[in-house]
Amino acid sequence: MDSVMEKSFVQQLQENQNLIHKICRLYTNNEDAHKDLFQEITIQLWKAYPKFRGDSKFTTWAYRVGLNTAITLYRKKTRTINTIEFDNTLHKINQEEYDYQEEENIKLLYQAVQQLNDIEKALVFMYLEDKDYSEISETLGITEVNARVKMNRIKGKLKKILNP
Amino acid sequence: MEALDTLKNDWKKDKVRYPNFSEKEIYAMLHKRSSSIVKWILVISIIEFVFWIGLSLLLRDSPQMKKVNSLDVGYIIIPLEIISYAIILYFVIVFYKNYTKIKVTDNARKLMQNILRTKKAVTHYIYAMIICYFVSMIAIFALFFMYDPELIHVIDSYENSGNVGWFYLIYISIALIATGILLVIFWLFYRLIYGMLLRRLKRNYEEIKKLDF
Repeated sequence: MDSVMEKSFVQQLQENQNLIHKICRLYTNNEDAHKDLFQEITIQLWKAYPKFRGDSKFTTWAYRVGLNTAITLYRKKTRTINTIEFDNTLHKINQEEYDYQEEENIKLLYQAVQQLNDIEKALVFMYLEDKDYSEISETLGITEVNARVKMNRIKGKLKKILNP
Repeated sequence: MEALDTLKNDWKKDKVRYPNFSEKEIYAMLHKRSSSIVKWILVISIIEFVFWIGLSLLLRDSPQMKKVNSLDVGYIIIPLEIISYAIILYFVIVFYKNYTKIKVTDNARKLMQNILRTKKAVTHYIYAMIICYFVSMIAIFALFFMYDPELIHVIDSYENSGNVGWFYLIYISIALIATGILLVIFWLFYRLIYGMLLRRLKRNYEEIKKLDF
């Protein structure tokens, strides 16, 4: 692929990289995995870029490819971490590594979202990004009504996780 | 306030310090190898196609096959060969067609569907190949029994001593065990490779399907 195209792609991605970081934040729980997923999304974006015609915004296009990579294409590196204790310490380290510095309840909210499944996380991500239901349904390939129903269920599920 | 709306407020503030990759770092990432499951399915499928074609070429040069050919039964063997190559060609085309349909810009459901369809083509291919080999094996055994003078001579001698039942039993048992081992190896291969590779995708696909009851 020619270098002009490569340059414009890299520039746009560099400017909009926070979008990809946000996806990685929801789908990974440590820095290595975050970087790994970021890299895979970048590769997938680059592979799809020649067909990106610019009739949608770069960010709209990128978040769809990003979510698809996180939900479908990405192969998590298997690590043999099984014990709960280890998971807890890992999580603590993450919080420090990322330096999120959130208040306690925001922290708990993020932890609750981490417990959702991949599809639920995608819905939450789009909700947080202010996407409307028609876009959510189009991105996932479900009807708008079902997207709404699922979103309500997720809200219920989060409530249950937070107030067991 | 709903929990998610509290989260949304925080999300929008963007106060998290994400790593900020430079253009140089992003350039480097572009040229790294993808480890996506689609790539793995492609690699495994190519191995499958090469394996079965290689196996048929290898068997063609085996002493057993040379013996079969010496029996002058081309009218059975040649059609079998043509059928097996036609099956391989058919599945290569189906696989390629499905593979090119996989687009990361499709909606999630369609993307998953296309990946699973591509993988299914390979699974059907393997089944077809196993059946093909099974039929060929039965045909070869039958041909030996019917035309191989040495075997006919051996059977005759067993018949004379009254032990022909044992002879058939051992002969058929060996054939079944050999086929069985082959099938178990493939089954394990499938469970392991595709199980590991597609577990998450299948789970997510089921979840999306469940949403659109």
